[in-house]
Amino acid sequence: MRPSAQNRGTMSFTRGFRTVAAILAALGLIVAGPSPALAYPPVDVVHTERVQAGPYRLTVGFSTWPLRALQSLDFTFTPEGGIADKRGVLLLRAPGDGDLERIGRVATEARLARHPRKLGVWGLDTFALPYEGAWTLHFSVEGPAGLGEGELRNLAVLAQPGPPLGLSWALGTVPLWALTALLVVAWRRTGPARPAGVAGSP
Amino acid sequence: MTLAQERPPGRVAVSRGRLPAALVLLGAMLSFSGLSWDVQWHIDVGPDTFFTLPHLVLYAGSALAGLASLAVVLATTAARRADRPVDEAVGGRAVPVFGRLFSAPVGYLVSGTGAASFLLYGLVDLWWHELYGFDAVIASPPHIGLILSVALTMVGALMVFAAASAHRWGRSGVLGAFTVLLGFTMVATNNLAEFAVGPIDPAVLGTTFLVVAVAFTAVGFLDNLRLALLFAVVFAATQAVLWWFSPWAAHAYAAQVGLPLRDYIDGPPYLPANMPMILIAVVALVHVATGRARRAGNRPRWVAAVVGGSAGALTAVAAMVQVPLVYGNPIPPIGTFVAPAVLGLVAGTAAGLVGPRFGRMLRALAPAAPSGAGR
Repeated sequence: MRPSAQNRGTMSFTRGFRTVAAILAALGLIVAGPSPALAYPPVDVVHTERVQAGPYRLTVGFSTWPLRALQSLDFTFTPEGGIADKRGVLLLRAPGDGDLERIGRVATEARLARHPRKLGVWGLDTFALPYEGAWTLHFSVEGPAGLGEGELRNLAVLAQPGPPLGLSWALGTVPLWALTALLVVAWRRTGPARPAGVAGSP
Repeated sequence: MTLAQERPPGRVAVSRGRLPAALVLLGAMLSFSGLSWDVQWHIDVGPDTFFTLPHLVLYAGSALAGLASLAVVLATTAARRADRPVDEAVGGRAVPVFGRLFSAPVGYLVSGTGAASFLLYGLVDLWWHELYGFDAVIASPPHIGLILSVALTMVGALMVFAAASAHRWGRSGVLGAFTVLLGFTMVATNNLAEFAVGPIDPAVLGTTFLVVAVAFTAVGFLDNLRLALLFAVVFAATQAVLWWFSPWAAHAYAAQVGLPLRDYIDGPPYLPANMPMILIAVVALVHVATGRARRAGNRPRWVAAVVGGSAGALTAVAAMVQVPLVYGNPIPPIGTFVAPAVLGLVAGTAAGLVGPRFGRMLRALAPAAPSGAGR
């Protein structure tokens, strides 16, 4: 029996709906599947250091150890007694820079925020230190016992993993060189004469 | 007489060219909005994986543009092999690829190459994240490769619509393609700041060059003040939409997956806040000044260089004012404007020297006597 026009429309709609549902299900599997590239990783602290910032004792946690230049990791900063009644400021000093008043080009100062995946402590999520060498983390903590300052000095950051950065950048910018080549070819084939424009209503 | 022969030739050209061009532009727009969403996600929420929803929108944009480009290349190849005529208004002149294995309209060749390159850099990015962790930064080699690949697709989209500029939809599409190309590519140039050496900030050089070069290209190609201003209006409207969409989408997605917002998030959305609000003045300046100089019989290259330098200084100084204004910070002292103004002057002069030729290159893509013009 041939389907009526209405049935054909319904079947077509059903087929279309099934196709869309199948695509969405496939996307859902990609999104919800247990791929390591998908899951938001927990903050696993594999190494800790202690810092005394005035009256406050801080634990600095690292999700990767040892540290390597450009390799991102989670940092956690936990003052004894918790963060609820405290305010913290972190200042980073890059290798080779002078004293803290002379902040180097990668030095940064930020009021410490809760780690977005570990809300009970302050932290930096997926944060990388760009250069190898001895870094300094300077803490200012303000709380019930007043203001305290302390430093974690000589935090060793090893050489970056992977291929040399120059090679990586050369490969990363290939589309730019391709576009430049395209423009050069088109430039040579386009004369300086001025043809009519494309004026008109869009 | 066959049915095909009975059809007006213009109709065929329009119907064959409009759909794939629209799909390539839609893909480019998805990529642009996906990037703005993704950047805002990292600023306001944080955690990254390879398959977040904004990443999927980015991937879908390139996939859509790539598949549409591939379809046109295969259809053109089949037409060439069957000795059927190929309409150059559909993506521009067809060029041989891999010997004569394929015939690809040059616009779709560029957009498709960008999409294929995006796929390759996606794989490199996955490897990079395995090695370096999920660093949420723009300025990593695979991320720049991904952004440049999408930019290549957007250049292809611009070429596709320029080839169809005899049609109303072609001219409309050009305005959209200019908008996504400028807005998207600025994200890469804005992140050149970390390579600054003293007062020489490559972000100012790159962004200013881009803005002024696109302004000259658009003015030169469109050759009509109303259309050129309409491009700037479309750009501003896109900025307004992203201003609303990016934080809304980031926060809605965070709520959906049960993640909290970061502490101390404030300020406007990053990507639209950095899109130049001065564009409409730059476009008007370039159009009016170059037009008057042309009518006065001045040497066009010198005029373009001077107008470009002025437009560049204006763009760089305006950015110095725009960013603190929208972030609610005080405007820096006047002395700090000197270096960006000089850099803007240099970048704008260079853009003025090449931009007009870019406009002519785009015009050269349209066939000399297109069929179905005006539809």
